[in-house]
Amino acid sequence: MTISKSSRRNFLKSGGSVMGASWLAINLPLIVSAGETAAHNKESGAVYNNISVEESREFSALVNQIIPPDDTPGATEIGVVYFIDVALGDFMSSAAPMLREGLADLQQKTRSAYSNIQRFSELPFEDQTKMLKSVEDTAMFGTLHFLTLCGMFCLPSYSGNRENAGWDLIGFDHRHAWQPPFGYYDAAVHGQLPDEGNDHEHV
Amino acid sequence: MSTSKGLPKYKTREEVDFVIIGSGAAGGVLARELSTNGFSVVVLEQGHYRTAADFKHDELDVIFKNQLLNHPGWNDPQTFRRFETETAEQIQGEPPPAYYARGVGGSSVHFTANYWRFHQSDFKERSLLGPMEGTGFADWPISYEELEPYYSRVEWECGVSGQPGPFEAPRSKPYPVPPMPVKSSGVLFEKGARALGLHPQPAPLAILSKPLNGRPACVHCGFCMGFGCEVNAKSSTLASMIPQAEATGRCEIRPLSTVFRIETNEAGRVTEVVYLDADGQEQAQKARAVIVSANGAETPRLLFLSESARFPNGLANASGIVGKYLMGNGHSVTQAAFEHPLNEFKSVQVTRIVHDFYENDPARGFYGGGGMDARPFLDSTPILHAMTGLPHGKPGWGPEFKKMLRHYFTRKMSVLGSTTSVPLERNNITLDPNLKDDKGRPAIRMTYMDHADDLAMATFLQDRAVEILGAAGAQEIWREPVAGGTVQAHLLGTCRMGDDPATSVVDKYHRVHDVPNLFICDGSSFVSSGRGQPTMTIQALAFRAAEHITRFARNGEI
Repeated sequence: MTISKSSRRNFLKSGGSVMGASWLAINLPLIVSAGETAAHNKESGAVYNNISVEESREFSALVNQIIPPDDTPGATEIGVVYFIDVALGDFMSSAAPMLREGLADLQQKTRSAYSNIQRFSELPFEDQTKMLKSVEDTAMFGTLHFLTLCGMFCLPSYSGNRENAGWDLIGFDHRHAWQPPFGYYDAAVHGQLPDEGNDHEHV
Repeated sequence: MSTSKGLPKYKTREEVDFVIIGSGAAGGVLARELSTNGFSVVVLEQGHYRTAADFKHDELDVIFKNQLLNHPGWNDPQTFRRFETETAEQIQGEPPPAYYARGVGGSSVHFTANYWRFHQSDFKERSLLGPMEGTGFADWPISYEELEPYYSRVEWECGVSGQPGPFEAPRSKPYPVPPMPVKSSGVLFEKGARALGLHPQPAPLAILSKPLNGRPACVHCGFCMGFGCEVNAKSSTLASMIPQAEATGRCEIRPLSTVFRIETNEAGRVTEVVYLDADGQEQAQKARAVIVSANGAETPRLLFLSESARFPNGLANASGIVGKYLMGNGHSVTQAAFEHPLNEFKSVQVTRIVHDFYENDPARGFYGGGGMDARPFLDSTPILHAMTGLPHGKPGWGPEFKKMLRHYFTRKMSVLGSTTSVPLERNNITLDPNLKDDKGRPAIRMTYMDHADDLAMATFLQDRAVEILGAAGAQEIWREPVAGGTVQAHLLGTCRMGDDPATSVVDKYHRVHDVPNLFICDGSSFVSSGRGQPTMTIQALAFRAAEHITRFARNGEI
């Protein structure tokens, strides 16, 4: 699956629709209103509220395929499975049956392909990748992809993005106030004209 | 989050001078002006009364759960189709076709705050260029010169940062505060544009670069487009106009009040406004006059819902054109990545614009004009970036995807082109014949497909964007496909103003032609679309309308 197939086809309308409003034509599964769920299960090793331990193991493997660990943490370590647990008990609860059905299909496919393997999570990483490519056009995978990105980069209070690890990964620094210079290309401008932006009265 | 605030509290069965339906860009200005001028005013707003303290840096909640968009009490769906020959559908999980914020301050709370004045030509292109067959291409009944004093009032009283640009029409006053500090996207855009002989300029923004009118300057937090401002530096009517309206002691803001009917009597005059309150109970507020400022989609919907024996096609619709000539502005987006970090997640969206292509040019071979700006666009927040900000055709998951996320987030920017929309009768807002909201109100049905000239203009601007970004030294440039819009944040033209009651809904003073105590003032009043940033003009119209409505009221002419 390419960028245009996953992030775009599953979650975005193409072209002009991205524009009119429109920073946002997101083609999500229907999201119903939801309050912020308490992050009491955020600590590592905490019990999941809406998924089983076995499901958490499979989700861990799946989201680590989307954002794998390398010299930096992968999706699981960043807390994405805890986020999924929260989301499925909250604003994504309507997607839970579809996700479970998709997961069961994946396990069936896995067992058919590897006679000695019971679960997707038992496969070596490369074999997981191969297996996942065969289901990457499913609603299950599209939803998991969406949940992974949300869990990577949401406020940590949603139980994902632990200790801002998702934000650190991409260079997003969350503060409530900034002053110029903001980036490399405006630094010279602001350096020459310190009065243009550096005297802002912060509140 | 409160559901009511302050004093006074008017009784629904006692007639107030004005009921204003909607508290957004226009309604907020009208409320402040009319209450300041001594009138009793009730503002009915369907959304919550949020304040700065209620706004959060919560991308999941605001962008993905539509926190500021959803109806606060119940599901209120919409449908969309491109052409009238199609059956409109509600597409589950997609943003609503008519894209507006609900809440006190309306869409001025979550907007990006680009505040371009119209040019003189915008008001008289039909006379300048001649007719366009099969379209509603027409002059406005007012000129730039008539509106100019009110543009200045918006800049000073609502609060706009900027400095005069090389192409703008004459102005009577300078900007009250200087432009926002330039961002890396602005520096690069300016460099590329100058290399091509263009004339980039600082962007006028309704966001304060310095304290003004008791409000603080922007702190550059970056949660701006789509978000409510946490420090009241964004010049929403929530921050600028509403507090002053309430301070008069004559204006009641009544949130969680969803209007579904305007009642008229046998004489054809408006008598009261019927709405559902926070508990879903039906209420009716009596008024001497009513002003509809509900936006270019909700306003025609309400007029249709207010049909009666005397007004069988809907209130204010003797002409039959209520809801028609919807204009949304065409857009094109061009993305680019540079060698060093831009860090566009900081500060406001736009700091530099190009207006070299604003005017119509026959040499292009199609009608239209537009403006361009540099901005992070969807790269200002991390989740949207991950979903929309990476180059096309690359892996969407796995090790390479992760590498790209790490590389691109800080190095990205976009150039947005915004264009004219040809007014077409086939682009419109109507009541959906099948779908209703939870309270039985017919849903908004949008029918919209951009005119070929609008798409050509959007593509023309994208071609220029590619050139500018190349001249700025971009390492990679890619285009988002130009296509017909399916989501419109600019809801313009559906109750257009004009001198002829046969071809317009309101007169040049925003009074409905055949209902003397009913006024309409919002984006629906537009006759032409401008070049993509309409709110400045919506507010100038509101200041002007308030002055004339005050005069009529004082002279006993309502």
